[in-house]
Amino acid sequence: MSDARSAAVAFLRAAWTPAALVAALLAVVVVASALGAEGGQVAITEMLIRVVVVIGIYVFAGNSGILSFGHIGFMCIGAYAAGWAACDPEWKGLMLTGLPAFLAEHRYPMPVAVLGSAALGGVAATLFGMAITRLSGIAASIATFAFLVIVNSVYANWDTVTAGTSSMVGIPAVVGPWTSLLFAAIAIVVAYLFQISGYGLMLRASRDDAVAAASSGVDIRRLRLIAFGVSGAIVGAAGGVYAHFLGILTTDTFYLDLTFITIAMLIIGGIGSLTGAVVGVLFITLVIEVLRALEAGVTIGGAAIALPHGAQEVGLGVLMALVLIFRPQGIMGGQEVPSPFPPAGSGRLRAGRIPESENGKFVEPVR
Amino acid sequence: MMGRRTEASVALRHSDTDDRPPGVANPLPSPMSATLTHASDCSATDLAAAGISVRFQGLAAISEVDLTVRRGEVLGLIGPNGAGKTTLVNCLTGHQRPSEGRILLGQMDITGWSPQKFRRAGVARTFQSGRLFKDMTVLENVETTAVGLGRSRRAAAREAMDALDWLGVADSAERLAGVLPYTDERRVAIARALVVPPEYLLLDEPAAGMSDSECDELLGFVNEIPGRYGCGVLLIEHNMRVVMNSCSRIVVLDGGRRIAEGTPEAVQKEPGVISAYLGEG
Ligand SMILES: Nc1ncnc2c1ncn2[C@@H]1O[C@H](COP(=O)(O)OP(=O)(O)OP(=O)(O)O)[C@@H](O)[C@H]1O
Ligand SMILES: [Mg+2]
Repeated sequence: MSDARSAAVAFLRAAWTPAALVAALLAVVVVASALGAEGGQVAITEMLIRVVVVIGIYVFAGNSGILSFGHIGFMCIGAYAAGWAACDPEWKGLMLTGLPAFLAEHRYPMPVAVLGSAALGGVAATLFGMAITRLSGIAASIATFAFLVIVNSVYANWDTVTAGTSSMVGIPAVVGPWTSLLFAAIAIVVAYLFQISGYGLMLRASRDDAVAAASSGVDIRRLRLIAFGVSGAIVGAAGGVYAHFLGILTTDTFYLDLTFITIAMLIIGGIGSLTGAVVGVLFITLVIEVLRALEAGVTIGGAAIALPHGAQEVGLGVLMALVLIFRPQGIMGGQEVPSPFPPAGSGRLRAGRIPESENGKFVEPVR
Repeated sequence: MMGRRTEASVALRHSDTDDRPPGVANPLPSPMSATLTHASDCSATDLAAAGISVRFQGLAAISEVDLTVRRGEVLGLIGPNGAGKTTLVNCLTGHQRPSEGRILLGQMDITGWSPQKFRRAGVARTFQSGRLFKDMTVLENVETTAVGLGRSRRAAAREAMDALDWLGVADSAERLAGVLPYTDERRVAIARALVVPPEYLLLDEPAAGMSDSECDELLGFVNEIPGRYGCGVLLIEHNMRVVMNSCSRIVVLDGGRRIAEGTPEAVQKEPGVISAYLGEG
């Protein structure tokens, strides 16, 4: 009996963080649905898809300590993969003459298309990861940015496959709040399992001290590659879901704006914990919505006030600077959701700082 | 925040000024079942540096050093600050590629292997500056090695707990490594190196900055390691009394060169050693 009870406590202890995060997102969706605002549904869906993106980035950046500016490239790859799978074959036959037959002649349902997005995102990340995991921290981060630029140029100019600068249209826009919530929940569970796995443990060790991790038998490069692949697959899936939300794809969607917003979400929420990734998305979405409303103008006591255009971007930039100054480890400061079942395996203080020594290239004397 | 207690704060304590009885009793309980995991022919698997030189931008840190660590012994490595002790350990653990010479594990030439390959081949170390994973718990620190060496999470947690238990720091398992007192930090570092028992354990000044009694307590564990785990220990230590008591053999480095090797008694009598190291007091 006490065995069953301690097993139950152990399960709750292990499942607390993902369960609490999913519950929080569920609450947001329920409240938003109850309020019934028309634009609210769209905003909530977009937010939940961003939860998937930011969690995807977190799986690599949070565990390894290396920031990536290139993940929106995997989102682009995933979105177009879903587009290829889910567009109207007639349109594909006309516009995307470069597609292979299995894509050109068929139309796949959303779950299949999103699986394809995840697979292609994961494969692209693994291939690209083989290059960047050879680089040290800051060089790797710069290379990820170069990757984003490359993906954007290729997809913007590869007319026979991506319709180039004109849009890819006719993807069934079937994703709403509930579907995106499901994907967010899956992302949370996958990221959490990765984090508490041996891979997550070894990566965090290498983030704290790469020299000591290597001496503990940790193959840092291999682990970073695995994390990069998993993270690319999650962000790729997010791209596929996003394609099924927008219904129309242009390469501009997956570039600097989205990169900036998602990185800001991760850093402001706190790169050192899964909770930080989720909280960052919720918080920044709220801030953006408020700024957007102010840009559109509000009337207070008969006087109309409107912020100038661009206030959104400026506001976000200032906010990020303030957080970096006053709370460099983000809102969550590396903590997971406080658990009512201590001592939890998850909710410990965990700083998400970027390590100085990197990748087994020990420029400093090893002492 | 964490004050680095380095070798700079440690004065050399000479054996002639310290006449406490030898043979430090281990003050902590330990299971009687000595786990000799690697009972084997020692000489076939010595860890050896053969004619190692390391130059940094032309400056020689160590020159043509030979050194052999044997299974089952505690080998002392001594020498003044800057003598090249850490550099030699770096070579013996894959953190520094020697400019010349070879590293041998038994018959195998392992020169140029990466640190993780050294550890997987059974050569473990601790660091002079600790280098614990500060944002992780004590248990996770030790688990990392076990997982890194292929254990499952469950098995890793169990073996890590055993190692922490043996070193008397199991109570701190859930604490963050970054906030440990100095003496515990050193023990956790040893547990992390020892968790899946290596064949060789290289300890870079594990007792630096400790009081005499803390030092004796720690060395109690070090002395037990060869019998308990069947591994060879290389011990860098400035406290001469401790070195003389703990080590069956001693190698002396000075200015990057090996100036003496032998039993504690023999080394102490070497004129070169006396002038370079012991003779100043
Ligand atoms: N990576 C490096 N680059 C340049 N010089 C180095 C490097 N590592 C060590 N040295 C130099 O090599 C020499 C030997 O250093 P080492 O750290 O091995 O000495 P040590 O015997 O461990 O000294 P201590 O007792 O102070 O720990 C020193 O002069 C040191 O400055
Ligand atoms: Mg040293």
